[in-house]
Amino acid sequence: MSSPRIRALLRLGVVAAVAAAAGLAGTTSASAIPAGAPKVGMVCEPGTASAGTRTFNLVANAGYISTPDGNAVYVWSYANADAPDNGHFQEPGPVLCVNQGENVVVNLRNTLPEATSIVFPGQEGAVAASGGSAGLLTTEAAVGNGTVTYRFTAGSPGTYLYESGTDVSKQVEMGLEGALVVRPTGHADYAYDASTRFDPSREYLLLLSDIDPDLHHAVELAYGATPPSPPPGYDVNSLRNRYFSINGREFPDTIQDNGSSLLPNQPYGALVRIQPNSSSNQLPSLIRMINVGALNHPFHPHGNHTRQIAQDGRPLRTPTGGDASTEHFGETIGAGQTQDFLLRWDDTDNFNPANNPYPVAPPNYLNVTFKDNSTWYSGSPYLGYKGTLPTGVTTQNICGEWYFPLHSHALNEFTNYDQGFGGMGTLLRVDPAGGCSAPVASAALVGGTLKSGSVSALSAADTAYYQINPKTTTRTSATNATQTSITVASASGFPTSGTYYVRVDNEVMAVTGGQGTTTWTVGRGQLGTTAATHSSGAAVSALATDWYAGFTGIPAGAQSLKVTYTGKNCATTTGTTCTALTTNVPQQTVRICDWTIAGATGCTAVAGPGAAGWVTLPAPPAQPQGVGSSDVSSTWNLPVNAAQYIGTGSSKGQVRVLVHTQRWTASSPTPFSTWGNLMKIVYDAP
Amino acid sequence: MALGFGNARPRSVRSLLVLVLATAGVMAASSASAAPRTIELCAVSGTATLTGSTQVPIWGFGAPAAAGDCSTATASLPGPQLVVDQGDTVTLHVVNRLPVPAVAPLDHTVRVEIPGITFDPGPTTAAPGGDVTVAFTASAPGTYLYSSGGDAGRQLAMGLAGMLVVRPAGAAGQAYAGAGTAFDVEAPLVLGAVDPAFNAAPDTFNLHTYTATYWLINGKAYPDTAGITAAAGQRVLLRYANAGFDNSSMLLLGMHQQVVGRSARQLANPPSTTTEIIAAGATEDTVAVMPSTAPPTTHGFPLYDQQLHLTNGPQTSAPAGSPLPPGGMLTFLHG
Repeated sequence: MSSPRIRALLRLGVVAAVAAAAGLAGTTSASAIPAGAPKVGMVCEPGTASAGTRTFNLVANAGYISTPDGNAVYVWSYANADAPDNGHFQEPGPVLCVNQGENVVVNLRNTLPEATSIVFPGQEGAVAASGGSAGLLTTEAAVGNGTVTYRFTAGSPGTYLYESGTDVSKQVEMGLEGALVVRPTGHADYAYDASTRFDPSREYLLLLSDIDPDLHHAVELAYGATPPSPPPGYDVNSLRNRYFSINGREFPDTIQDNGSSLLPNQPYGALVRIQPNSSSNQLPSLIRMINVGALNHPFHPHGNHTRQIAQDGRPLRTPTGGDASTEHFGETIGAGQTQDFLLRWDDTDNFNPANNPYPVAPPNYLNVTFKDNSTWYSGSPYLGYKGTLPTGVTTQNICGEWYFPLHSHALNEFTNYDQGFGGMGTLLRVDPAGGCSAPVASAALVGGTLKSGSVSALSAADTAYYQINPKTTTRTSATNATQTSITVASASGFPTSGTYYVRVDNEVMAVTGGQGTTTWTVGRGQLGTTAATHSSGAAVSALATDWYAGFTGIPAGAQSLKVTYTGKNCATTTGTTCTALTTNVPQQTVRICDWTIAGATGCTAVAGPGAAGWVTLPAPPAQPQGVGSSDVSSTWNLPVNAAQYIGTGSSKGQVRVLVHTQRWTASSPTPFSTWGNLMKIVYDAP
Repeated sequence: MALGFGNARPRSVRSLLVLVLATAGVMAASSASAAPRTIELCAVSGTATLTGSTQVPIWGFGAPAAAGDCSTATASLPGPQLVVDQGDTVTLHVVNRLPVPAVAPLDHTVRVEIPGITFDPGPTTAAPGGDVTVAFTASAPGTYLYSSGGDAGRQLAMGLAGMLVVRPAGAAGQAYAGAGTAFDVEAPLVLGAVDPAFNAAPDTFNLHTYTATYWLINGKAYPDTAGITAAAGQRVLLRYANAGFDNSSMLLLGMHQQVVGRSARQLANPPSTTTEIIAAGATEDTVAVMPSTAPPTTHGFPLYDQQLHLTNGPQTSAPAGSPLPPGGMLTFLHG
């Protein structure tokens, strides 16, 4: 999201300066989330697994977190001591993800100025501790790099928390907390069992905590380089929280990406991003909530119900094992509790401007104003549509998605130090079904001629087709069966470099020289055909068609691009009827432009320097595909991080998809035309 | 038998066995059928020792040795635990020996309240020097909180509250009639809080500035809280009643507590939990089965307030640069 970044950039200077002054351990550049982690959604720290045991190495250390009102707060937390984090400070601690039945080993090293420890509420049976020294609630790691090791078996799946068990009135408030997720045996997409199955790409963690900056400041001074005399005191009975956090951040920082460079010590975002459920998208999203603070929080999915399926790592069941889950639009999560929610979002009204408009006309945009001239509204009340906004209004909306606040309804907590719409809140974003989509903006022929239709035919799978014939020219004179040089009327549209094939009557020739000119050096009788004579004026046809569709306005940071192409090939190059193709079926390869290869010039042709950027879309389905005279529809999924497919600079926001279709085998190469019906991309907006 | 309290094995030289039960006037032997019962209580001034040697003035219920003779009644924090059987017709006689207030509009009238219990028609209040007899039928088993609602909450904050247990008819050893509520060991846990500055001047204190600094289980703060003793495999019934002003989230570490009842109603779908919010004025019943594995510490399995009220008294002189001495709403379950 862009507009908070400006304020965030101004804050970053403050954070860096304070951190430098404090001389804290840990770098400011190492990432605190694993490589390849999603930008939105829960991030797992997998630890190291070996023979049924999963080991985590944690270090308790101190650092600073950033608040949206420009404050930097001194915090104690756990960090991942292993690569790639190497102890980089983070609040909250790493999300420890384990599988049911694993033996979990947590090694803790303490660099804090007090003894500390970890307790694991909800883990039954022994949490054995070795090393360390006995404390009141558990075994502790001493000051000065003291260590302790905890061992337990993750017996039951669910959402759990871990936190300090030492001097908890102070240390838990200071930030020593994190999440522990246990996945059911063999099913990473079940919360507990088959009845709590969720969409694994829609898994969210909201860890709630609270900050009294006065307590943190008193501890910071007391353990600083020059503690005041007399030493600062703090009465925990006078605790007054002023910052209220989700995953260690306050709104609007909660909606920034995981691993945002704006928040180097607070790696976890809290944006909940879903798409409507439907017959083709059945699985709900899973929201794991944890409250580590000392306050209970009435959490509110504004405008929606969420279904609570579990508390404290135990599913809500009837005594006979039936479903006892309940739906809520306001559910208090108590201090120390975890609660799991499934969120199904069904568009039961299916309003759309074309054939099911709202019964009430939306207000004219000229009559609408927005606070601070800023909004998340798209200008259209229809999901998936954008409309007109008054001049001068900045919108965060990307593709007509809807936003709901997801927040503590203790409204003093929905603030940053009493400034409204901050604190313990995030956004629930409902993207249009299938994700954001962009219409085809343009089409370019890089190898072929337009038979009929226009680019608008590609916008829907209907009866309108964008029809391309292979490029043709003619011989300027008769051809005998042996000559190896021929002249053609025009070379335009044929590749300007590299060997390529052309067909004259039933013979295939290979053009090996003179590309780009009208005099070609040719090899005769290629691909199993026989060299023959041809009359003057005979048509010389390319054996392939190449055209690409261009999309614009794709935001930087868009992820999970999916390309859908529906089309067919017909045996005719004229007329309006698609004649059948049953043998020698054309081979189709759909490619996408990777702008990082050979720069912006890499996706303008199919031969020569302009061709370097095209990469074949990854299976499934595998390519090339044989596509005959019936529509074949294929969807390819690109990897989550899709930055290289979105243009920058002068090609900013552009995506290009190339359809290459070739038909050549012995013994009678016959004409064909490519008929494109639908070209679509969808993506998850940042 | 010390009904309802685990044997508090001394964990340090300062730990005490908390709460001595009053005798026959309050507790009758458990009987299988409903019977008429008479309970005598006095509302009197007294003193509570919160931890170590910290004493505060309180107002509390106490049981007289003879009916109406409040000179023999000692205020306890919380008040005596009352136990009756389902179906019993209870006559609760309360004598008000609170001092006459010097500050209007306070009247120190005791107003008997037991949420969830329907009283027979009749008066429920007693002015200082007076008395009142409240009658009811204990028709539903469960855990209840009895208190005085007088003086707009000041009497409750001074300590006038205690627990009433109604045992299910024909279901000895269970919290409710339904299966799944059986127990081997029973532990009442009356949660509360004290602001000593308020207790010193209950009539004139400005309640907007009420700041509790002592957090109590059965009138005691750690390390003086009584532990709960149970052997491996035994089912421990934790009867929570929150006589304080604030919600308390009670976390049981190393075990699960299954919530079998809330507000004296058995739950149809009892959830298994780690932490439960006990709302101010509410009661809740959970069953925790003692594991055979070792607890996280030699003290046992910790049961504590996750709102982190784990200190005793104001901490104004506590340096932020050192650990706080542990206290407050913490106890342990142990073998």
